[in-house]
Amino acid sequence: MTLVSTPSTTAPAGTSAPVRNRRRSHRRPRVLIAVTGLFFALLYLPIAVVALFSFNSQKSLTVFDGFSLRWYRAFVHDDVLIASLGTSLRISLVAMAGSVLLGVALAVGLVRCRTRFGSLAGLIMLVPLITPEIVTGVASMLLFKGLGVPLSTGTVMLAEITFSISYVTVILRSRVAALNPEVEEAAMDLGATRWQAVRLVTLPALLPAVLASAVLIFALVFDDFVLAYFTTGVDPQPLSVRIYSAIRFGVQPTINAVGTLMLAGSIALIALALFIPRLFGRRGGLDILSGE
Amino acid sequence: MDATPAVRLDGVSKQYADSYAVHRLDLDIEAGHFFSLLGPSGCGKTTTLRMIGGFSDPSEGAVLLAGEDVTDLPPNKRNVNTVFQSYALFDHLSVADNVGFGLKRSGVAKAEIRQRVGEMLELVQLAGLAGRKPRTLSGGQRQRVALARALVNRPAVLLLDEPLAALDLKLRRQMQVELKQIQREVGITFVFVTHDQDEALTMSDRIAVMNQGRIEQCGTPEDIYEHPATGFVASFMGTSNLMTGTYRDGEVTLEKGPALAVGARSGIEDGTAVSVSVRPEKIWLSDFEPGMSKLSGVLRETVYSGPTTTYLIELAPGVTLSVLEQNTARARMEDRWTGGETVEFGWRPEHCLVLA
Amino acid sequence: MALLRPSSRTRRRDTSGNRMWLWFMLPGTLWMTGFLIASLVLVAVLAVGTTDELGNPRFGFDLAGVRALADPAYTEVLARSLGYALLTCVICLLIAYPVAYTIALYGGRYKHALIAAIVVPFFANYLVRMYGWSVVLSDDGPVLRALRAVGLADSGTKILNSGFGVVAGLVYGFVVFMIIPLYAALERLDVSLIEAGRDLYGGPIRTFFFVTLPATRQGAAAGLVLVFLPAMGDFVSAQLMGGPDQIMIGNLIQDKFFQGQNWPLGSALTMLLMLVLLIGMLGYLRRTRKDEAEALR
Repeated sequence: MTLVSTPSTTAPAGTSAPVRNRRRSHRRPRVLIAVTGLFFALLYLPIAVVALFSFNSQKSLTVFDGFSLRWYRAFVHDDVLIASLGTSLRISLVAMAGSVLLGVALAVGLVRCRTRFGSLAGLIMLVPLITPEIVTGVASMLLFKGLGVPLSTGTVMLAEITFSISYVTVILRSRVAALNPEVEEAAMDLGATRWQAVRLVTLPALLPAVLASAVLIFALVFDDFVLAYFTTGVDPQPLSVRIYSAIRFGVQPTINAVGTLMLAGSIALIALALFIPRLFGRRGGLDILSGE
Repeated sequence: MDATPAVRLDGVSKQYADSYAVHRLDLDIEAGHFFSLLGPSGCGKTTTLRMIGGFSDPSEGAVLLAGEDVTDLPPNKRNVNTVFQSYALFDHLSVADNVGFGLKRSGVAKAEIRQRVGEMLELVQLAGLAGRKPRTLSGGQRQRVALARALVNRPAVLLLDEPLAALDLKLRRQMQVELKQIQREVGITFVFVTHDQDEALTMSDRIAVMNQGRIEQCGTPEDIYEHPATGFVASFMGTSNLMTGTYRDGEVTLEKGPALAVGARSGIEDGTAVSVSVRPEKIWLSDFEPGMSKLSGVLRETVYSGPTTTYLIELAPGVTLSVLEQNTARARMEDRWTGGETVEFGWRPEHCLVLA
Repeated sequence: MALLRPSSRTRRRDTSGNRMWLWFMLPGTLWMTGFLIASLVLVAVLAVGTTDELGNPRFGFDLAGVRALADPAYTEVLARSLGYALLTCVICLLIAYPVAYTIALYGGRYKHALIAAIVVPFFANYLVRMYGWSVVLSDDGPVLRALRAVGLADSGTKILNSGFGVVAGLVYGFVVFMIIPLYAALERLDVSLIEAGRDLYGGPIRTFFFVTLPATRQGAAAGLVLVFLPAMGDFVSAQLMGGPDQIMIGNLIQDKFFQGQNWPLGSALTMLLMLVLLIGMLGYLRRTRKDEAEALR
């Protein structure tokens, strides 16, 4: 038996194109990389500018005069701003707790429930995600006014919970769907009721995703502006609303300090949220996004 | 003596929309048996298993365990445990906690749990891995954890849903032997679902061959293999050399070939369309005995597979028989036939199966 | 040992657990549905309401607000908003494609880190970043200074207080929503498809148009919707980067509720915005249905 030799795979006879090197991965396209680099630069430029000038010894936003922490000190001593910080933190905590509790139950129910009601509910969940915040803001505000509920920190919390439930549900749905349904059956096979099976087996398996979404929600709610703007009352307004007023009514360099702190805090939290699954021995949490 | 079967399925059906996954199944499984449900994908064997386990509700009929009707009982109330195809281990618990899960649910004391878990891990040869998490184990090890987790509860019946399917060949063979040993040692009834007929033949005390929601034949491995009741069973269990023809007076005239003398078959009327089957290993190529049916054909292909050689012999255009010969010490290379030769072959009449 | 054979089963066990799952879903669904429906209904109702002497909104039936929508000033704002939003979509597409493409296909090991480096800041404070962007684009800011240095701008060129500024703001705010679906689509793309395309079509540009673009069409479509919706409703960008000639419908709404004290008109404007968005969404859904149907054929 003879081995029939195969011809080498080059361009078929007749084409004028030269023989190509199959592995193009080392031929980096310079234009694309330049564009991407420029993009990154422009993306981080505003952040860099705000951060830089938060340390400016003078008020200017264009000339850097010298390093100083005066604006940070001003922030710490500004009672109004600190009160707002406290409000924002409280709102974020409550919204996080509320939306995660309701959202986890909702996500698990949605994925497992195979009735028409289930799929309908699934669609309703997505509505807040696709409506611009101004619409949800106006609608929420009218809801409270219409019900005679005065606007306050509480109304912000309620509105933020509503909005956040959608986020939590979307994040967790793909995770729940990826779980092996036989694991719940195994728990029941071994003597657990369905509820016990969910409590002892399914929920612990969701823990990394739940923690990650909790941290993410905290950051998102803390930063949220439009919804808070429409639903807040007069008691210490959330920090983002205060910043908005400050921006509108003239340059207040303290904004740079506050803004830098908020940005640093959010970036740290969001990055943390993406890494939490890794801590539990899984790949980093960006599958959440690629799975969308 | 009429012992209560460990499992009885009484007219059980499972209906989806307009089709039956399982159709009026009647099945008795004796206590202490290693019982296999064998069939191709989609034949309903896993559906049947799930109905025994309680994960699926029969559309019709009743499921009885040790004589008691359990059809309405959920899985956690049945004295049955399952080894799932995906193993379904609890990733967030250690091996020991996995194995002890069922015992904890039953309220067994901690000390006893520890002791029984330890014994079970010894039995499945996983002692020393008690503290590990399932993610760090190999496929074979995970399979044993699943087995231990089910067995430790001392169920009356153990259900296994193609548990060896994900293992490589060598490991699978090893686990087949181990499973059989464990079953004999523990004495529990095993209901084993598989699509691999070799597996079923080697391990089972009894096999039920299923096809499209029905049981085609139920019997010992020898029964199933040597005396298949239908053409499906004959061709599912290995090569069957199935040929179609018409029976008349002790002879079957093949559709595409000559007449074969099969001897008088009671119960088959003249003129009936039948299938004739002879197992490849039952066909002789030499040293014929008196009384054998003899035929000749053209040798088309020789396939060497180590301990055996398969010859493909064309009896007539469109009718090719597969003949299996062992390459024993006494056989000689020079004695082997070459392609294109006309060879004689034959079989003992009792090895010729005629299926109506 | 009685043989029990019920002729037909009347009582079926809930083997799928659906009852329990419905209970799981109940609190969340009730909350969301209640909140959303009630609030949107109120917007609609108030759109036909009135304002009393003190400036407080009252429920009633007065189509003055709805009729006011026909005012050319408002239609101009709506048209401008549409224009800005669509322009933003196009620019985002032009920017997101190269970036997502580069990271997905050439990012290698750093792919995930790079995408994270984009996504993370975008979900951090929107307001502060827009503020920073307005500083960056200001007359003395780094961008204009750089452009002047290379001669692309003179001392009189302004970015802020113009349509350019607003669109720049919108793009900066929402381009991430185009990058994510495009990246997801490109990442899933089989690289050998592109290589095969290169053999077939010769140049990288033609390969892009004939192979890559069609394959990632759905990702691009999703991105267009995800950018269009928030861009239409935005008011921050127009406020920080634009002047009185650049206001968008979002600014109008904000004004009517917080300054103008004309809540019915504000509600009417909100309804108008929702209508536009609904039309856009329906168009998108019909397009994706058509695509799916074509793909199945």
